[in-house]
Amino acid sequence: MKRLLLLLFAISSVALLTAGAYGGSRPRYGGTVRILLHDRVLSIDPLGDEDRPAARDRIAALAFENLTQVDAQGRLRPGLAVSWHADQAKRAWQFRLRLANFHDGTVLTAAEVAASLAKSNPAWKYSAIDRQTVSIETPYAVQQMAELLALPRYAIVKRQADGSNAPILIGTGSYKLNQWQAGEHAQFTANEDYWGGRPFADSIEFQMGSSVREQLMDRQLGTYAATELSIDQIRNVEQNNQTITMSRPADLLALVFLQPDSGGKSGRKPVDARVRQALGLTINRAAISNVIFQHKAIPASGLLPQWLTGYEFMFSGVTDINRAKELRADAAAFVVISPIALAYDFADPLARLAAERIAVDAREAGIVVQPYAESHLYSKAARGSMNADAVLLRVPLQSLDPSVALAARTDDLALSPESAPAILGATRPEDLLEIERKLLETNRVLPVAHVPQVLWLNSTAHNWQQELNGGWNLDQLWMEGAR
Amino acid sequence: MSLKTKLLLLVTISITASVGAVAWLIEERAHEAFRQVEQERTSALVNQFRREFEHAGDEITRGVDSIAGSEAMQRTLTELANGAEYANYVNEAASNAAAQRLDFLDLIAPDGAIISSAHWPARFGYKQRWFLDLPSPLPRQAFLKHVETPQGSVLAMLCFRTVAVHGLNYYLIGGRKLDTVVQSLSPPEGLRVAIFSVPEQGSGEMIGPGKETFNATKIMALIQKVLDKHAEDSVTVDLGQAQGNEEIVHAIPLPGYTDRVPAVLLVGNSLEQELLLEKRIRNISLVIAGVGVFIGVVVSGIVTARFSRPIKTLAQAATEIGHGNWDVRVETSGRDEIGKLAVAFNQMTEELMGQRERLVQSERVAAWRELARRLAHELKNPLFPLQITVENLLRARQNTPQDFDEVFQESTATLLAEIANLKTIIGRFSDFSKMPAPQIQAVDLNELVRSVAQLFQGQLNRDPGRIQPRLQLGDVPQVSADPVLLRRVIENLVLNAIDAMPQGGTLTFRTMTNSDDRFAVFELADTGAGLTAEECDRLFTPYYTTKQHGTGLGLAIAQSVISDHHGRITVSSKKEHGTTFHVELPVWDGVSTVEFGRGKS
Repeated sequence: MKRLLLLLFAISSVALLTAGAYGGSRPRYGGTVRILLHDRVLSIDPLGDEDRPAARDRIAALAFENLTQVDAQGRLRPGLAVSWHADQAKRAWQFRLRLANFHDGTVLTAAEVAASLAKSNPAWKYSAIDRQTVSIETPYAVQQMAELLALPRYAIVKRQADGSNAPILIGTGSYKLNQWQAGEHAQFTANEDYWGGRPFADSIEFQMGSSVREQLMDRQLGTYAATELSIDQIRNVEQNNQTITMSRPADLLALVFLQPDSGGKSGRKPVDARVRQALGLTINRAAISNVIFQHKAIPASGLLPQWLTGYEFMFSGVTDINRAKELRADAAAFVVISPIALAYDFADPLARLAAERIAVDAREAGIVVQPYAESHLYSKAARGSMNADAVLLRVPLQSLDPSVALAARTDDLALSPESAPAILGATRPEDLLEIERKLLETNRVLPVAHVPQVLWLNSTAHNWQQELNGGWNLDQLWMEGAR
Repeated sequence: MSLKTKLLLLVTISITASVGAVAWLIEERAHEAFRQVEQERTSALVNQFRREFEHAGDEITRGVDSIAGSEAMQRTLTELANGAEYANYVNEAASNAAAQRLDFLDLIAPDGAIISSAHWPARFGYKQRWFLDLPSPLPRQAFLKHVETPQGSVLAMLCFRTVAVHGLNYYLIGGRKLDTVVQSLSPPEGLRVAIFSVPEQGSGEMIGPGKETFNATKIMALIQKVLDKHAEDSVTVDLGQAQGNEEIVHAIPLPGYTDRVPAVLLVGNSLEQELLLEKRIRNISLVIAGVGVFIGVVVSGIVTARFSRPIKTLAQAATEIGHGNWDVRVETSGRDEIGKLAVAFNQMTEELMGQRERLVQSERVAAWRELARRLAHELKNPLFPLQITVENLLRARQNTPQDFDEVFQESTATLLAEIANLKTIIGRFSDFSKMPAPQIQAVDLNELVRSVAQLFQGQLNRDPGRIQPRLQLGDVPQVSADPVLLRRVIENLVLNAIDAMPQGGTLTFRTMTNSDDRFAVFELADTGAGLTAEECDRLFTPYYTTKQHGTGLGLAIAQSVISDHHGRITVSSKKEHGTTFHVELPVWDGVSTVEFGRGKS
């Protein structure tokens, strides 16, 4: 009997714990999700020349949707388009739209979609077959059109003219923009009429431009649901048993030489190809990945990470000081080798450390690299007026499809726009390998490391879905304790 | 230059020299005093620097000791010794350095690899072995050394510590920039301080608060000297007007951890104040000298006027006397030397007057004697025949009365002839006393000379004793002269010359102008026996003659005539080489028609 009573107690306890656990993990509507961003975003226009495009895209994803989307596991899912098909040559595509409304209440139409896409890529031809069908014709084969249209720049945006002011941007996303203070604060409220159903949180607020000190304090106070973390903060956060979510090493930290034909300042003499190659041979990528990025990054020898393409190991990222010296001496015989001004993101302390490490390593081969901080590193227009010879960029992995990711990455790095048709038309990994090899042979981009994105999450935040490449999907996010 | 001017100049120079000497002395004294003050100020500043240096060294040592002994560092090193990843401690140095306010801190593994660097975080993993290869251990206290940073080599005060954990030696090297030590110095006004950093590789640079104000190129030689000799030195540098002209720069070597001098302390002491004072002294000296010179000139002017006036009067009086005015007397005021000189001058003048009177008197007596002698001689010649004739007449009356009439006739004829001769002689003497006044007009001297030569042509061609005339007539202007009197003078000179050449010779007529073109010159040179110097001196004395039958009045008359023409006649002769007469006559000026005064009587 006693044993039976004990058994009943155990069973009831397990049942209660299970019920409690279920009750604790059940999504709740309401509440405000506050997110602390390190960067200051000035505009959420997906096509704007933004200083902080990666942060912009994360915010903009709440309000704007694409025809297709990629889930947290990297799988292609329907977005505003419910279905699509292409012709045999993969040059004519048709997308069937779902029934959805813009935030202003108007119905999403094929014409609106065609107009939006025409802004995103004017080189292609768009037309509305009917009210719900959009046709896209390309001058060359695009194998991964559906994946391509999931990129942030292809977000469907209705641009409503507002007199002389910038047009009002209206999307169809699960949240709609309610308040916007450029570079400071943004508030999105739940879209009650969202085709996918109302999101759980009533609103999401972004506080931008936080310092490390503010982040530390806010984490301790628990005011925010999530904050971006720098990799060097991981150890400290982990020691305090706090929750961290980290993407795959998807961002590419790369040294990009500015050239007149690739966004550099016109009239500035480009760095000699031999010196560029020599500099690439001096970089101790392992030291940067292991020490500066605390083993969280992986040394990069290609534009795309090994885990995405499977062929990055084909590229050499070894350090060879002797060969670098030879190349430098060879170059010095023909040209005057000036110090290389290397601009890094002033807001990124690890980028500074990496740039300085590159400078230290370059000294070994007699190459003088002078790192300095720049505030508008990611604006292509700003790069065009910089005095830098090279920039140290950290560019996000915009797609989990290799060809789309490579196309986006070459675009971000202002590399060889003419290679886009080949990239988008590639049907085999070997084709991409060859394209990437040719891109790397120019040594105009020196990959340094693939770096993950790190996020601290408050224990009260649930269902924060971070994609493999670091993108956020906050549709299912809910806050514990919300009414 | 007059005596007054000389005196003024002398006084001015004396005053200027005196004031200059005094100003120089003052300037030198001030210079010495400033040098002393400058040395004291420099010494004080160097001592202050040394104190600050030691103080900063102590702070650094304490800071590094504190880090080395901290529990956190011990824990870190223990973890490292137990095999922890270096990467986890890459920021270790930065936080420790910040806590101890250190500019530099390296945490170094036993093999020399940098685990963490505060000042150059990117340098992790690189080896730093300089301290492992030293022959002697590093000092416990802070020392100077250049530290490599991303910005280049920086001079630092460093402290080195070894921390042994589990038998492994880890190293801590911490320190601060030296210019922060220099920044804490507060040099007084006029002093500047900087440090010249001498890295092991590359060129040196100036650091510290005064680095902009030092001109490295101007003191580079000094720095090099100090680096070579390891001893302090100084140099005066010209900075130009903009920076206060000059300054003394002291260079003191700062020791490092080896024999090599890593830096030189530079203390610049501006000489602006000294130069300003020197300038002020110079200006005051100039003002004093100016005033002194002015007063000196005025006073010396008065004094010299007082002294020089009687001297000037004496000089003027002497000049007057030189011009023949013997009546001049000077005022004899005062009993000083000048007064005595004036008295003496007056006495001398009176004495000279007396002597002149006596000389004139004696000359007059001599002249009269000569006149009497001549007159007697001249008169005696005709008187002797007169006496003989009268005695013959008497003797004929007594002895031969029959022939008396005949004798009487002859004797009376002789008597009349001799009496006529006496009249002639007396007439000549009378002519000498009654020279006519010259009628001045323009006379062509060459023409006159040519006509005289023509006139005497016959006498010159005598035989024996033929005289060869030679005319050397220059281009002379007309002269102011009485042609009749001048002709008589020239004829007289020609007659004398003919007499001087009884054996014949050459008679040269020469005309020319003198150097100032105011006088025409006529010269007549013979080749006769010539005259002695004494004869030349007395030649123009009346009644003096060298001829047996001359009256001695010819040349005297000639001199009188020429003198009445405002001309001059002189003679030059050399025994056995002939005699030359020089006659200077004023050139005709077109208006000189006045009648010249009579010559001397």
